[in-house]
Amino acid sequence: MTLLATRPRRVHRAAAHPARPARAPRDQHPPGMLVLVSTDPEAERDPLSSPDVANALLQRVATGDQRAFSDLYDLTASRMLGLVRHVLKDHSQSEEVVQEVMLEIWQTASRFDPNKGKAVTWMLTMAHRRAIDRVRSAQSSRDRDTKVGIRDLDREFDSVSESVEIRVEHDRVEKALSRLTDLQRQAVELAYYGGYSHSEVAEMLSVPIGTVKTRLRDGMIRLREEMGVAS
Amino acid sequence: MSRSDDDFDYDDFGDVAAELALALPPVDPSPDLKARLMAQVAVTPQLPARTSEPAPSAEPAPTAGLAPVTSLAPAATPATDARPASPAEQKANARWFTRTSATLVAAAAAVALFFGGVVSANLFQPGDDAQQLAAIVAAPDVQTVAAPVTDGGSATLVSSESLGLSAMVFDGLPELSDDEAYALWYITDGEPTPAGLFTVEENGEVVQVLDGAFEAGTIVGVTVEPSTGSPAPTTTPIVAIPTEA
Repeated sequence: MTLLATRPRRVHRAAAHPARPARAPRDQHPPGMLVLVSTDPEAERDPLSSPDVANALLQRVATGDQRAFSDLYDLTASRMLGLVRHVLKDHSQSEEVVQEVMLEIWQTASRFDPNKGKAVTWMLTMAHRRAIDRVRSAQSSRDRDTKVGIRDLDREFDSVSESVEIRVEHDRVEKALSRLTDLQRQAVELAYYGGYSHSEVAEMLSVPIGTVKTRLRDGMIRLREEMGVAS
Repeated sequence: MSRSDDDFDYDDFGDVAAELALALPPVDPSPDLKARLMAQVAVTPQLPARTSEPAPSAEPAPTAGLAPVTSLAPAATPATDARPASPAEQKANARWFTRTSATLVAAAAAVALFFGGVVSANLFQPGDDAQQLAAIVAAPDVQTVAAPVTDGGSATLVSSESLGLSAMVFDGLPELSDDEAYALWYITDGEPTPAGLFTVEENGEVVQVLDGAFEAGTIVGVTVEPSTGSPAPTTTPIVAIPTEA
């Protein structure tokens, strides 16, 4: 896998686009993006970082509340599909996975423990797992290596209408990623965003599998520190 | 292929992983994804909470054929288990649940078929049953109750009082002889009102919107009748589903 060797270094967004406004007025949101009524600054930075909305909805879903499920779907589906499609690439397969995951969320909502984390985290973890399972079971998974290679976050961003909030989140994560060592960052990107297994990542980076595991773990710990997320 | 040690365990890093996920551009799902999903949700029971509460089987056995949907999921939990289940047991329960709910999931799939636009000829009677079912499922006051059918299979009643409509989703319903038909009844204050006749094909799947106006609190029953129908039930209902007033 020689893609990595030729991969250009990331250019940090903020530096590349200094004129980009920090925020756009509320009424200029592109269609389809999340709009929350909350004016909590924390919620504005990341619409889903305010755990209360999704948590409360999920707990209502656990009681069989179908309207709450509908609202929870509206709040999270585009983010879930964004993640799943990033891993799977194929749109219709990704929609199938989202449907499966959402139904699983409906069925198992009572198992969500708000003391152990945010609802969105619980949901996205499930979605990521299913996406990876689907990649593994797909006959075409081996072809992804040659077709797609290393994914580039920026390229995807350039092709969609940008939402300021996503952009802010994106910049924050990218900034955190840039603080990792090359190997840590590559391991995280390949394993999480690419859905590759340890051995696949080891092969792509030409390092022993044990090294991949260590770098991945170190990378995630470092990311947590850099992003200051509550664990 | 299943997951193994070869996969990174994100469980310890769910928070970080979620941040990584939220940094990706969102992708809007197609509108019919939600329609399909809501149809499935309407007929898919939920897992009971994983607690040490007394086994739900301690409840009195429901009247024959009467089983609110909420009792279906608990029924999947092995009885007399008053202590917290071990992880292995929980997994087993989950598997068991999956199996017992297979028929309902199949029913959900039958409903979803409509939303997917792939309706087999026998799944819906001609007319606008499909449209009405979609409206019921989408109604804010939709009520869903599932129950087993005496001779095998399952029935799920989906109803909306605001629309005055209800539909029954059957799975695994036995085929009848040529001179028989299934009859639907609205039973209010012990008074049965005919709500339509139908038959099933070999696959036992059928979705039937009931004739007449649905009122909350009524009971929906199904009997086997002569194919020409009867003014009142002549046999014991194979399923009867009460609704909340």
